[in-house]
Amino acid sequence: MKKLLVASFCVLGAIAQAGAQDKAQLDKARAEGKAAFYANITAVEPIIKAFTADTGVTGEYTRISTSKFVATAITEFEAGKLQADVVQAPLPVLEMLKEKGVLANYRSPAAAGYPEWTRKDAAIQLFGIEYVALIYNKERVKPADVPKRYEDLTLPKWKDQIVMANPANHATTISWLIGLKENVFKSEAEWRAFLKGLAANKPMFVASFGPTPAPVESGEKLIAISMPKYIVTKAPAPLDWARLSQPMMGTPRAIAVTSKAPHPAAARAFVDYWLSQKSMAMLAKDVGEYVLAPGVYPPIDGIKDAKVIAIRELSDDEIVKWGAEFKQIFDVK
Amino acid sequence: MANPRTKLTWSLIALVGALTVFPVLMLMLGSFSEGLTAFGRFTTDKYVEAYTDPAFYEVLANTAVFVLGTSLLSTLLALFLAYLNTRTDIPFKGLFGVISIVPMMIPHLLFAVSWALLLNPSNGLVNLALKEAFGLDEAPFNIYSLWGMIFVEALLELPIAYLIVAPAMASFDVALEESSRVCGAGTWRTLLRVTLPVLRPAILAAFTLGIVRSLASFAVPSMIGMPGRVQVLATHLYTMISTGFATDYGKAAAVGMSVLVASVTLIVVYRALTAESEKFVTVSSRGFRPTLVDLGRARLPLFGLVGLLSVALIVLPVAVLLYTSFVPYSMVPGARAFSLMGLRHWHAVLEDPISLLALKNSLFLAVVGATLGVVLSVFVAYVIVKVKTRAAGLLESLSYLSFSFPGIVIGVGFMWFFVQTPLYATIWALLLGYIATYLPYGIRPMSSAFIQIHSHLEESSLVCGASPLVTLRRIIVPLLVPGIVAGWILLASMFVRELTLSVVLSRPGTEVLAIQILRYSEDGMWGRLSALGIVMILISTGLVVLATLIGNRFKITAA
Repeated sequence: MKKLLVASFCVLGAIAQAGAQDKAQLDKARAEGKAAFYANITAVEPIIKAFTADTGVTGEYTRISTSKFVATAITEFEAGKLQADVVQAPLPVLEMLKEKGVLANYRSPAAAGYPEWTRKDAAIQLFGIEYVALIYNKERVKPADVPKRYEDLTLPKWKDQIVMANPANHATTISWLIGLKENVFKSEAEWRAFLKGLAANKPMFVASFGPTPAPVESGEKLIAISMPKYIVTKAPAPLDWARLSQPMMGTPRAIAVTSKAPHPAAARAFVDYWLSQKSMAMLAKDVGEYVLAPGVYPPIDGIKDAKVIAIRELSDDEIVKWGAEFKQIFDVK
Repeated sequence: MANPRTKLTWSLIALVGALTVFPVLMLMLGSFSEGLTAFGRFTTDKYVEAYTDPAFYEVLANTAVFVLGTSLLSTLLALFLAYLNTRTDIPFKGLFGVISIVPMMIPHLLFAVSWALLLNPSNGLVNLALKEAFGLDEAPFNIYSLWGMIFVEALLELPIAYLIVAPAMASFDVALEESSRVCGAGTWRTLLRVTLPVLRPAILAAFTLGIVRSLASFAVPSMIGMPGRVQVLATHLYTMISTGFATDYGKAAAVGMSVLVASVTLIVVYRALTAESEKFVTVSSRGFRPTLVDLGRARLPLFGLVGLLSVALIVLPVAVLLYTSFVPYSMVPGARAFSLMGLRHWHAVLEDPISLLALKNSLFLAVVGATLGVVLSVFVAYVIVKVKTRAAGLLESLSYLSFSFPGIVIGVGFMWFFVQTPLYATIWALLLGYIATYLPYGIRPMSSAFIQIHSHLEESSLVCGASPLVTLRRIIVPLLVPGIVAGWILLASMFVRELTLSVVLSRPGTEVLAIQILRYSEDGMWGRLSALGIVMILISTGLVVLATLIGNRFKITAA
C-alpha cells in the first residue's frame, strides 16, 4: 500500500512537473510570438488558425512548391535568412535539408503514440502518407468495369480514358511506379508488361496531382492515377476510388524543426500541436489526408480497411534515372 | 561639362543595370556552379548535360514553330484590330478597343484551361456542338497540339501587340495616306505601300516582343502542350527542374542562357531594322490630324468578323470562367449543372483573409509599380530612340535582360539576389523585381510613339529657351499620351497577375493574387480559381478604364 502511495505520488509529481514544463515551454513560445511554417500541403489554414487560437502563438504558413522547396530553404539558410521555424515536405526533401544542417533534433511528445517506424531519426517525424489510388467517375464507369487490380489499367477499354501526372518528372508518380514494382508485382517482367500496357492506353499527362481530378469530374477522362483525398475536397464531384485487391501506396510526409529557427520554442509548440490527435483529425476530415496518428482516418468509405504502404525513400539520382526510363516507355515528348 | 543627354543615358544604364543585371548574374553563377545554389565550385557540366540531351533539339524545333507561329498570328491580328479600331469608321470602336486587351487581364492558366474545356477532343463544348450540328463521328479540333498552342498563345499575346501597334496607328499622320490617294493609289495599295511601312517599328516591336514572350510562356505549354505531348523550351525546363527533389536551377539557367542570347540577338536585329528611325516620323508639325477611313460596304462584314474574333478572345473564355465559378465541380453544362449552381466558391474566395490581403497587395503593386515603371520607361525610351549612341543600345539590351530569361528560372535569380539584401521577403522586393522584369512592356509602346515624333519639335522648344525637362513635360509627353496610357495599362495588368517572381519572393504578408490562383490550381480547385480570376479581370478592367479616362482628359487638357 505504502509502495503504491509512493508510486502514485511519483507519477503525480512527474505529471505536475511535465505540466509545469509544458506551461513554461508554452509561455516561452508565446513570448516569441509566432511560428513560421514552410510546407506544400492543401488547405491547412484551419489548423494554423486553431493553433493560434489554442496556444496564443501566431501560426504563419508559407506554401512553397516541392520543386522549389530545397532551393528556397537552402538559399535562405546559407544567407542566414531562413524564415521557417518548422518545415514539412516529402521525406526525401527533409533528408536533404538535414544533410545541409538545416534541421534540429526534436522528438515531440505528441508523437508518442505513432508507430515506431514513423520516427525516422532524432530530427524527422513522419505524420502522413501522400497516398495514390485509382480515382474514377462513378457516374460514367459502371460498377462492373471498375478496376480490381492495377493490371486492369492495361485493358483496351481504358484507351484515351486515363489521366495521370507526367511519369517522366513527377517525383511522387515515379516513386509510385517503383513502389508497384517492389510491393505489388511478383516479377520485374510483370511490372514491365504493366507499364507497357498502361503506356499503350495513351494516358493524358498533366504536371502534378492537382490537375488530375478535373478531367475525371467533367467526364473528359474516366479514370485518374490520383489521390483519394480529392473525394473529400472536391465533394460533391462524382469521384470514387477503386478498391483494389492490392495495396495502396504513397510517399511519406515528414515534419521537423529548423536548426536556426528564429522562434525555437514556438517551433516545438507548433510541431507538438501539428502531431496532436486534434490536428491530425482536422487534416484527415477536412483535407482527406491519410495520417499516421493511430485510429484517425479520412471520411472516405472503405479507406479504413485499405492497406496503405509507405514507399521506400528514393534518392534523387534514382528518381532522375527512372524518370528518364519512364520518359522512353511512355513516349513522353 | 558632360552633355545632359550623355549624363541621362549613363544614369539610366546604372539604374536599369542595377535592376536587371544582378539576378541574371546570379543565374550565370548558378549555371557554372557545382552546388545547388548560386555559389559553388566551377563546372561546365551543366552546359554539357543540358546541350547534349538528344531531346533538346526536337524541343528547339517545336519551340521555333511555336514562337514564330504565335508571334506572327498575334501581330497580324493586332494590326487588323488596331487598323479597324483607330483608322476606320467601324461601329462600336470603343468597345472593341477594350475587348482587344481583355485577354491580357485573364490569368494565362485560366485562359488555357478555358480553351481546353472548349476544344478538347473528348468532350470539348465547341467540338460537341460541331459534332452534333454536322453529324461528325470524331471531334474536328484537338486543342492538345502545336496548332492549339499557337492559337491560344497568340490570343494571349494579341493585347500586347495591340497596345504597341494601336498608339502608333493612332498618331499616324493621315496626310501621307491622302497624298498616296491623290497620286492615284487605292485603299489597299495605300495600306500596303504607305501605312504598313511607316508602322514598321511598331510592327517589329510587337513581333519581337511576341517572340520573347512566347519563349518565356509557361501556362499554355503546360496546360495544352503537356497533355498533347508537345514539348517546348518552357516545359523542357520545367521537366528539368521538377525531376527529383533537389531542383538544379543551375542546369535550367544553362539552357536559359541560349534563350537570353536569342533575345539579345533579336533586339540587335530589331535595332538594325529600325536604325533610320527618321523614316518613320509622322508627327512633325501642327498639320498632324488623324482622320477616318470610310469602310463603305465592307463596314458590316468587317464588323461581323471583329465580333467573331471578340467572341473567341473574351466572350467564350470569360463565359467558361463564370460558369466554372458557379458550378460545384468541373461539369459539362446542362440542366443538372444549372440546378447545382451556387455561390460557394465566391464565398470561399471573398471570405478568405489571405485572398483579401492578396487583393490589396496586387492593387498596390499594380498602381505604384506601373506608375514608377512608366516614369522610368519614358526616360529609357527617350534615350533609346532619340540618343542614338552605343550606350543607348546597351541601355536597350539591359532593359530586356531579365525579361528575356525564361520565367521559370528568373524568379530564382531574383531570390538568390534579394536574399543578400535587406529587401528580402518584403513587398519592395516584389515591386523592384516586377519593374525590372517587365520594363520592356513600358518601353516598347513608348518607343514606337517616340519614333513618330520629329526631333524638330523638341529642338524648337530648346531653342526657345525651355529646359529639357520643360520640353519633355510640355511638348513630348502630351504627344506621348497614347503610348504612356498603353504602357501603364500593360504594366498594371501584368503586375495584377504576375506569378513568376511572386512565387519565389512572396512570403506571409506579401501574398499576391496570382499566388492564390496558383494555390487553387495546385489543389485542383477550379471553381475558386475561376472566381478569383473574375475578380482579377474586374480589377484589371477597372484600371484600364481609369487609365484610359485619365489619358483622354490629359490629351484634352494638353490640346
